Amino acid sequence: MFLYLNPQSGLPIYRQMFQQLRERISSGQLAADAQLPGVRELSTELHINPLTAAKVYQMLEREGLVEFRRGQGTFVTAGRKPLSAAEQQKLIQPAVDQVVSEAIHLGIEESNLQRFIHQAYAHKLS
Amino acid sequence: MPTSFPEFAIEADGVSRSFDGTAALSNFTLRVPRGTIYGFLGRNGAGKTTALKIIAGLVKPDRGTVRVLGTDPFEFTTEDRQRVGYLSEKQILPVGMKVGRLFAFCAPFYPAWDHALVDRLVASFRIDRCKRIGALSQGAQRQIAFILALAQRPELLLLDEPASTLDVVARREFLDEILGLLRQDGPTVFLSSHILSDIERVADHIGIVADGTLKISEPLDRLKDTVKRVRFYDFNRDPGSFAMPGAFRAQRSGREWLVTLRLEDPAQLDAPARSWGARHEIQDLNLEDIFVDISRQ
Repeated sequence: MFLYLNPQSGLPIYRQMFQQLRERISSGQLAADAQLPGVRELSTELHINPLTAAKVYQMLEREGLVEFRRGQGTFVTAGRKPLSAAEQQKLIQPAVDQVVSEAIHLGIEESNLQRFIHQAYAHKLS
Repeated sequence: MPTSFPEFAIEADGVSRSFDGTAALSNFTLRVPRGTIYGFLGRNGAGKTTALKIIAGLVKPDRGTVRVLGTDPFEFTTEDRQRVGYLSEKQILPVGMKVGRLFAFCAPFYPAWDHALVDRLVASFRIDRCKRIGALSQGAQRQIAFILALAQRPELLLLDEPASTLDVVARREFLDEILGLLRQDGPTVFLSSHILSDIERVADHIGIVADGTLKISEPLDRLKDTVKRVRFYDFNRDPGSFAMPGAFRAQRSGREWLVTLRLEDPAQLDAPARSWGARHEIQDLNLEDIFVDISRQ
Protein backbone atom coordinates (compact mmCIF):
# COMPACT_ATOMS: atom_id res chain seq x y z
CA MET A 1 0.00 0.00 0.00
CA PHE A 2 1.35 3.42 -0.90
CA LEU A 3 1.09 6.13 1.70
CA TYR A 4 2.92 9.40 1.47
CA LEU A 5 4.90 9.86 4.66
CA ASN A 6 7.19 12.71 5.50
CA PRO A 7 9.18 11.79 8.62
CA GLN A 8 10.56 15.33 8.75
CA SER A 9 7.14 16.87 9.18
CA GLY A 10 6.09 18.30 12.52
CA LEU A 11 3.13 15.91 12.33
CA PRO A 12 4.21 12.54 13.80
CA ILE A 13 4.29 9.66 11.29
CA TYR A 14 1.48 7.86 13.09
CA ARG A 15 -0.84 10.84 12.61
CA GLN A 16 0.04 11.11 8.91
CA MET A 17 -0.72 7.41 8.41
CA PHE A 18 -3.92 7.57 10.42
CA GLN A 19 -5.25 10.54 8.46
CA GLN A 20 -4.47 8.97 5.08
CA LEU A 21 -5.95 5.58 5.96
CA ARG A 22 -9.05 7.16 7.47
CA GLU A 23 -9.51 9.23 4.31
CA ARG A 24 -9.18 6.11 2.12
CA ILE A 25 -11.68 4.19 4.20
CA SER A 26 -14.23 6.99 4.42
CA SER A 27 -13.92 7.74 0.70
CA GLY A 28 -14.45 4.07 -0.15
CA GLN A 29 -11.03 3.61 -1.80
CA LEU A 30 -10.64 0.93 0.83
CA ALA A 31 -14.03 -0.78 0.70
CA ALA A 32 -15.80 -2.69 3.47
CA ASP A 33 -14.18 -6.08 4.11
CA ALA A 34 -11.01 -5.08 2.26
CA GLN A 35 -7.95 -6.56 3.95
CA LEU A 36 -5.17 -4.23 5.07
CA PRO A 37 -1.55 -5.35 4.84
CA GLY A 38 -0.05 -6.87 7.98
CA VAL A 39 1.88 -4.63 10.35
CA ARG A 40 5.22 -6.14 9.32
CA GLU A 41 4.51 -5.93 5.64
CA LEU A 42 3.31 -2.34 5.87
CA SER A 43 6.25 -1.18 7.98
CA THR A 44 8.71 -2.86 5.60
CA GLU A 45 7.12 -1.15 2.61
CA LEU A 46 7.11 2.25 4.24
CA HIS A 47 10.54 1.90 5.91
CA ILE A 48 9.12 2.75 9.32
CA ASN A 49 9.12 1.30 12.80
CA PRO A 50 6.59 -1.57 13.10
CA LEU A 51 5.43 -0.21 16.46
CA THR A 52 4.19 2.86 14.59
CA ALA A 53 2.15 0.78 12.14
CA ALA A 54 0.68 -1.28 15.00
CA LYS A 55 -0.31 1.90 16.82
CA VAL A 56 -2.11 3.25 13.75
CA TYR A 57 -4.11 0.02 13.34
CA GLN A 58 -5.11 0.21 16.99
CA MET A 59 -6.30 3.80 16.53
CA LEU A 60 -8.33 2.80 13.46
CA GLU A 61 -9.84 -0.07 15.42
CA ARG A 62 -10.78 2.22 18.31
CA GLU A 63 -12.68 4.41 15.87
CA GLY A 64 -14.41 1.33 14.50
CA LEU A 65 -12.92 1.77 11.02
CA VAL A 66 -11.13 -1.59 10.97
CA GLU A 67 -11.46 -4.84 12.84
CA PHE A 68 -8.94 -7.52 13.73
CA ARG A 69 -10.10 -10.99 12.73
CA ARG A 70 -8.30 -13.69 14.65
CA GLY A 71 -5.79 -15.56 12.53
CA GLN A 72 -6.77 -13.63 9.41
CA GLY A 73 -5.61 -10.05 9.73
CA THR A 74 -7.00 -6.55 9.70
CA PHE A 75 -10.09 -5.68 7.63
CA VAL A 76 -12.13 -2.59 6.91
CA THR A 77 -15.20 -2.89 9.11
CA ALA A 78 -18.34 -3.92 7.25
CA GLY A 79 -21.70 -2.38 8.14
CA ARG A 80 -20.08 0.33 10.20
CA LYS A 81 -22.32 2.05 12.67
CA PRO A 82 -22.51 5.71 11.76
CA LEU A 83 -20.84 7.96 14.31
CA SER A 84 -23.08 9.95 16.64
CA ALA A 85 -23.24 13.69 16.10
CA ALA A 86 -21.15 14.21 19.24
CA GLU A 87 -18.47 11.80 17.98
CA GLN A 88 -18.45 13.47 14.61
CA GLN A 89 -18.01 16.87 16.18
CA LYS A 90 -15.16 15.66 18.38
CA LEU A 91 -13.29 14.41 15.31
CA ILE A 92 -13.87 17.44 13.11
CA GLN A 93 -13.56 20.20 15.74
CA PRO A 94 -9.75 20.62 15.63
CA ALA A 95 -9.85 21.09 11.85
CA VAL A 96 -12.75 23.54 12.14
CA ASP A 97 -10.94 25.53 14.83
CA GLN A 98 -7.91 25.78 12.61
CA VAL A 99 -9.89 26.96 9.58
CA VAL A 100 -11.78 29.53 11.65
CA SER A 101 -8.66 30.97 13.25
CA GLU A 102 -6.99 31.13 9.83
CA ALA A 103 -10.07 32.92 8.48
CA ILE A 104 -10.02 35.43 11.34
CA HIS A 105 -6.32 36.12 10.72
CA LEU A 106 -7.09 36.80 7.08
CA GLY A 107 -10.08 38.99 7.94
CA ILE A 108 -12.62 36.71 6.25
CA GLU A 109 -16.23 37.36 7.26
CA GLU A 110 -18.16 34.43 8.71
CA SER A 111 -20.68 34.54 5.88
CA ASN A 112 -17.89 34.36 3.30
CA LEU A 113 -16.31 31.37 5.05
CA GLN A 114 -19.69 29.64 5.03
CA ARG A 115 -19.90 30.27 1.29
CA PHE A 116 -16.41 28.71 0.78
CA ILE A 117 -17.42 25.66 2.77
CA HIS A 118 -20.61 25.35 0.75
CA GLN A 119 -18.59 25.45 -2.48
CA ALA A 120 -16.12 22.87 -1.20
CA TYR A 121 -19.00 20.53 -0.32
CA ALA A 122 -20.51 20.94 -3.78
CA HIS A 123 -17.13 20.25 -5.37
CA LYS A 124 -16.38 17.09 -3.32
CA LEU A 125 -19.84 15.61 -3.72
CA SER A 126 -20.22 16.37 -7.43
CA MET B 1 22.00 -17.49 27.25
CA PRO B 2 20.17 -14.49 28.64
CA THR B 3 20.37 -14.66 32.40
CA SER B 4 17.86 -11.97 33.30
CA PHE B 5 15.14 -9.89 31.68
CA PRO B 6 15.08 -6.48 33.31
CA GLU B 7 12.51 -4.01 32.04
CA PHE B 8 15.23 -1.68 30.80
CA ALA B 9 18.11 -2.70 28.55
CA ILE B 10 20.14 0.24 29.84
CA GLU B 11 19.87 2.00 33.21
CA ALA B 12 22.25 4.74 34.25
CA ASP B 13 21.82 6.69 37.49
CA GLY B 14 23.68 9.85 38.46
CA VAL B 15 26.64 9.08 36.22
CA SER B 16 29.48 11.61 36.14
CA ARG B 17 32.75 11.45 34.29
CA SER B 18 35.45 14.06 33.71
CA PHE B 19 38.48 14.09 31.46
CA ASP B 20 41.38 16.28 32.58
CA GLY B 21 39.10 18.30 34.83
CA THR B 22 36.43 18.88 32.18
CA ALA B 23 33.08 17.24 32.90
CA ALA B 24 31.85 15.15 29.94
CA LEU B 25 28.85 13.82 31.86
CA SER B 26 27.45 15.18 35.10
CA ASN B 27 24.63 13.47 36.96
CA PHE B 28 23.53 11.70 33.79
CA THR B 29 20.47 9.46 34.18
CA LEU B 30 19.01 7.26 31.44
CA ARG B 31 16.44 4.48 31.00
CA VAL B 32 16.21 2.62 27.71
CA PRO B 33 13.17 0.30 27.57
CA ARG B 34 13.76 -3.13 26.08
CA GLY B 35 12.88 -3.69 22.45
CA THR B 36 12.94 -0.01 21.47
CA ILE B 37 15.00 1.83 18.91
CA TYR B 38 16.36 4.66 21.00
CA GLY B 39 17.73 7.67 19.14
CA PHE B 40 20.38 9.38 21.24
CA LEU B 41 20.99 12.98 20.17
CA GLY B 42 23.33 15.73 21.22
CA ARG B 43 25.69 18.33 19.82
CA ASN B 44 29.36 17.54 19.42
CA GLY B 45 30.91 17.57 22.86
CA ALA B 46 27.56 17.13 24.62
CA GLY B 47 28.69 13.79 26.07
CA LYS B 48 27.20 11.28 23.62
CA THR B 49 30.29 9.25 22.87
CA THR B 50 31.36 9.20 26.53
CA ALA B 51 27.91 7.89 27.48
CA LEU B 52 28.14 5.19 24.80
CA LYS B 53 31.60 4.15 25.96
CA ILE B 54 30.43 3.92 29.55
CA ILE B 55 27.47 1.81 28.47
CA ALA B 56 29.80 -0.41 26.45
CA GLY B 57 32.06 -0.84 29.51
CA LEU B 58 35.02 0.88 27.87
CA VAL B 59 35.12 3.90 30.17
CA LYS B 60 34.54 3.79 33.92
CA PRO B 61 32.33 6.50 35.43
CA ASP B 62 33.75 8.61 38.27
CA ARG B 63 30.40 8.42 40.05
CA GLY B 64 27.02 6.77 39.58
CA THR B 65 25.78 3.32 38.61
CA VAL B 66 25.24 1.69 35.24
CA ARG B 67 23.32 -1.49 34.45
CA VAL B 68 23.37 -2.92 30.95
CA LEU B 69 21.10 -5.96 30.50
CA GLY B 70 21.02 -6.02 34.29
CA THR B 71 24.79 -6.08 34.84
CA ASP B 72 27.46 -3.45 35.49
CA PRO B 73 29.24 -3.29 32.12
CA PHE B 74 32.59 -2.92 33.88
CA GLU B 75 32.05 -6.38 35.39
CA PHE B 76 30.95 -8.00 32.13
CA THR B 77 31.95 -11.60 31.65
CA THR B 78 32.71 -12.90 28.17
CA GLU B 79 29.13 -14.21 27.98
CA ASP B 80 27.73 -10.78 28.91
CA ARG B 81 29.88 -9.16 26.24
CA GLN B 82 28.52 -11.52 23.60
CA ARG B 83 25.05 -10.12 24.31
CA VAL B 84 26.07 -6.54 23.43
CA GLY B 85 27.07 -5.44 19.94
CA TYR B 86 28.99 -2.17 19.75
CA LEU B 87 29.81 -0.15 16.67
CA SER B 88 32.14 2.64 17.73
CA GLU B 89 32.29 6.05 16.14
CA LYS B 90 35.68 5.30 14.63
CA GLN B 91 35.83 1.58 14.02
CA ILE B 92 39.27 0.00 13.71
CA LEU B 93 39.40 -2.83 11.20
CA PRO B 94 42.53 -4.75 10.15
CA VAL B 95 43.08 -3.07 6.80
CA GLY B 96 45.47 -5.74 5.52
CA MET B 97 42.98 -8.57 6.02
CA LYS B 98 40.61 -9.79 3.33
CA VAL B 99 36.91 -9.35 4.06
CA GLY B 100 36.14 -13.07 4.08
CA ARG B 101 39.05 -13.79 6.44
CA LEU B 102 37.82 -11.16 8.90
CA PHE B 103 34.38 -12.76 9.17
CA ALA B 104 35.95 -16.23 9.54
CA PHE B 105 38.26 -14.84 12.23
CA CYS B 106 35.46 -13.24 14.29
CA ALA B 107 32.83 -15.98 14.04
CA PRO B 108 34.33 -18.46 16.58
CA PHE B 109 34.26 -15.83 19.34
CA TYR B 110 30.45 -15.70 19.26
CA PRO B 111 28.29 -18.78 19.89
CA ALA B 112 25.25 -17.15 18.28
CA TRP B 113 27.17 -16.01 15.15
CA ASP B 114 24.74 -15.85 12.24
CA HIS B 115 26.52 -16.97 9.07
CA ALA B 116 23.35 -16.67 6.97
CA LEU B 117 22.92 -13.05 8.06
CA VAL B 118 26.51 -12.27 7.08
CA ASP B 119 26.01 -13.85 3.65
CA ARG B 120 22.79 -11.98 3.09
CA LEU B 121 24.20 -8.58 4.11
CA VAL B 122 27.45 -9.00 2.19
CA ALA B 123 25.35 -9.69 -0.90
CA SER B 124 22.87 -6.89 -0.30
CA PHE B 125 25.62 -4.34 0.39
CA ARG B 126 27.53 -5.71 -2.66
CA ILE B 127 30.80 -6.18 -0.77
CA ASP B 128 33.57 -8.23 -2.42
CA ARG B 129 34.80 -10.83 0.13
CA CYS B 130 38.08 -11.30 -1.72
CA LYS B 131 39.21 -7.70 -1.37
CA ARG B 132 41.49 -6.42 1.32
CA ILE B 133 39.62 -4.19 3.75
CA GLY B 134 41.98 -1.27 3.16
CA ALA B 135 41.06 -1.31 -0.52
CA LEU B 136 37.38 -0.64 0.21
CA SER B 137 35.65 2.73 0.48
CA GLN B 138 34.97 4.31 3.88
CA GLY B 139 31.29 3.50 3.42
CA ALA B 140 31.96 -0.19 2.68
CA GLN B 141 34.25 -0.43 5.73
CA ARG B 142 31.47 1.02 7.84
CA GLN B 143 29.05 -1.56 6.45
CA ILE B 144 31.48 -4.35 7.36
CA ALA B 145 31.76 -3.07 10.93
CA PHE B 146 27.96 -2.96 11.07
CA ILE B 147 27.70 -6.56 9.83
CA LEU B 148 30.21 -7.65 12.52
CA ALA B 149 28.10 -6.02 15.24
CA LEU B 150 24.88 -7.63 13.95
CA ALA B 151 26.25 -11.10 13.21
CA GLN B 152 26.85 -11.85 16.86
CA ARG B 153 23.05 -11.61 17.34
CA PRO B 154 23.25 -9.26 20.31
CA GLU B 155 20.38 -8.44 22.66
CA LEU B 156 21.56 -4.85 22.73
CA LEU B 157 23.09 -3.04 19.79
CA LEU B 158 25.05 0.16 20.48
CA LEU B 159 25.63 2.21 17.35
CA ASP B 160 27.70 5.40 17.53
CA GLU B 161 27.13 7.51 14.40
CA PRO B 162 26.66 4.35 12.32
CA ALA B 163 25.62 6.01 9.08
CA SER B 164 27.77 9.13 8.94
CA THR B 165 30.02 7.86 6.11
CA LEU B 166 27.28 6.12 4.11
CA ASP B 167 25.69 7.60 1.01
CA VAL B 168 21.93 8.14 0.91
CA VAL B 169 21.07 4.79 -0.68
CA ALA B 170 23.37 2.84 1.65
CA ARG B 171 21.85 4.67 4.61
CA ARG B 172 18.36 3.64 3.57
CA GLU B 173 19.52 0.00 3.25
CA PHE B 174 21.12 0.24 6.65
CA LEU B 175 17.93 1.64 8.23
CA ASP B 176 15.88 -1.13 6.65
CA GLU B 177 18.21 -3.69 8.21
CA ILE B 178 17.74 -2.13 11.62
CA LEU B 179 13.97 -2.14 11.17
CA GLY B 180 14.12 -5.71 9.88
CA LEU B 181 15.78 -6.78 13.12
CA LEU B 182 12.89 -5.45 15.17
CA ARG B 183 10.40 -7.59 13.32
CA GLN B 184 11.87 -10.79 14.72
CA ASP B 185 12.11 -10.18 18.45
CA GLY B 186 15.30 -8.36 17.74
CA PRO B 187 17.63 -6.43 19.98
CA THR B 188 17.19 -3.12 21.68
CA VAL B 189 18.96 -0.58 19.48
CA PHE B 190 20.69 2.42 21.02
CA LEU B 191 21.71 4.72 18.23
CA SER B 192 23.48 8.06 18.18
CA SER B 193 23.33 10.13 15.02
CA HIS B 194 23.50 13.65 13.67
CA ILE B 195 21.31 12.62 10.77
CA LEU B 196 18.01 13.49 12.36
CA SER B 197 15.92 12.53 9.34
CA ASP B 198 17.13 8.92 9.81
CA ILE B 199 16.33 8.97 13.50
CA GLU B 200 12.93 10.44 12.76
CA ARG B 201 12.12 7.53 10.47
CA VAL B 202 13.16 4.61 12.66
CA ALA B 203 13.42 5.61 16.31
CA ASP B 204 10.50 5.21 18.70
CA HIS B 205 12.26 6.82 21.68
CA ILE B 206 14.39 9.96 21.73
CA GLY B 207 16.98 11.11 24.23
CA ILE B 208 18.58 14.54 23.98
CA VAL B 209 21.78 15.14 25.88
CA ALA B 210 23.14 18.64 26.47
CA ASP B 211 25.82 19.84 28.87
CA GLY B 212 26.46 16.29 30.05
CA THR B 213 22.91 15.58 31.23
CA LEU B 214 19.85 14.06 29.61
CA LYS B 215 17.34 16.86 28.97
CA ILE B 216 14.68 14.78 27.20
CA SER B 217 13.89 11.06 27.16
CA GLU B 218 10.52 9.96 25.82
CA PRO B 219 8.66 8.45 22.85
CA LEU B 220 9.20 10.39 19.62
CA ASP B 221 5.44 10.60 19.03
CA ARG B 222 4.90 12.22 22.41
CA LEU B 223 7.75 14.64 21.77
CA LYS B 224 6.22 15.80 18.46
CA ASP B 225 2.69 15.84 19.88
CA THR B 226 3.58 18.05 22.86
CA VAL B 227 6.64 20.20 22.11
CA LYS B 228 5.32 23.13 20.10
CA ARG B 229 6.38 26.59 19.08
CA VAL B 230 3.93 29.35 19.86
CA ARG B 231 4.05 32.74 18.18
CA PHE B 232 2.59 35.54 20.31
CA TYR B 233 1.82 38.75 18.46
CA ASP B 234 -0.36 41.86 18.56
CA PHE B 235 0.62 42.63 22.15
CA ASN B 236 -1.28 45.21 24.12
CA ARG B 237 1.33 44.99 26.86
CA ASP B 238 4.79 43.73 26.01
CA PRO B 239 5.82 41.33 28.77
CA GLY B 240 9.43 42.56 28.49
CA SER B 241 10.90 39.22 29.41
CA PHE B 242 9.42 35.82 28.84
CA ALA B 243 9.31 33.21 31.57
CA MET B 244 6.71 30.50 31.12
CA PRO B 245 6.62 27.16 32.86
CA GLY B 246 7.83 24.42 30.52
CA ALA B 247 9.44 26.83 28.05
CA PHE B 248 12.63 25.58 26.40
CA ARG B 249 13.47 28.70 24.46
CA ALA B 250 12.00 32.16 23.93
CA GLN B 251 13.04 34.46 21.08
CA ARG B 252 11.95 37.98 20.40
CA SER B 253 11.71 39.76 17.10
CA GLY B 254 10.26 43.27 17.18
CA ARG B 255 6.78 42.96 18.63
CA GLU B 256 6.58 39.20 18.40
CA TRP B 257 7.68 36.41 20.70
CA LEU B 258 8.42 32.88 19.58
CA VAL B 259 8.36 30.42 22.46
CA THR B 260 9.19 26.72 22.28
CA LEU B 261 7.45 24.91 25.08
CA ARG B 262 5.84 21.75 26.35
CA LEU B 263 2.18 22.09 25.45
CA GLU B 264 0.05 19.35 27.00
CA ASP B 265 -3.15 21.28 26.35
CA PRO B 266 -3.57 24.35 24.11
CA ALA B 267 -5.83 25.88 26.79
CA GLN B 268 -2.76 26.46 28.97
CA LEU B 269 -1.92 29.39 26.64
CA ASP B 270 -5.20 31.22 27.16
CA ALA B 271 -4.38 32.81 30.51
CA PRO B 272 -0.93 34.20 29.58
CA ALA B 273 -2.16 35.39 26.19
CA ARG B 274 -5.05 37.20 27.85
CA SER B 275 -2.83 38.84 30.45
CA TRP B 276 -0.59 40.28 27.71
CA GLY B 277 -3.54 41.06 25.47
CA ALA B 278 -1.76 39.04 22.80
CA ARG B 279 -2.90 36.72 20.06
CA HIS B 280 -1.11 33.47 19.41
CA GLU B 281 -0.74 30.63 16.96
CA ILE B 282 0.69 27.15 17.54
CA GLN B 283 3.22 25.59 15.17
CA ASP B 284 4.19 21.91 14.88
CA LEU B 285 7.92 21.20 15.07
CA ASN B 286 9.94 18.44 13.50
CA LEU B 287 12.73 16.66 15.35
CA GLU B 288 15.41 19.00 14.04
CA ASP B 289 13.54 22.09 15.28
CA ILE B 290 12.94 20.48 18.67
CA PHE B 291 16.56 19.36 18.94
CA VAL B 292 17.94 22.80 18.09
CA ASP B 293 15.65 24.62 20.52
CA ILE B 294 16.36 22.24 23.39
CA SER B 295 20.11 22.22 22.75
CA ARG B 296 20.27 26.01 22.68
CA GLN B 297 18.10 26.76 25.67
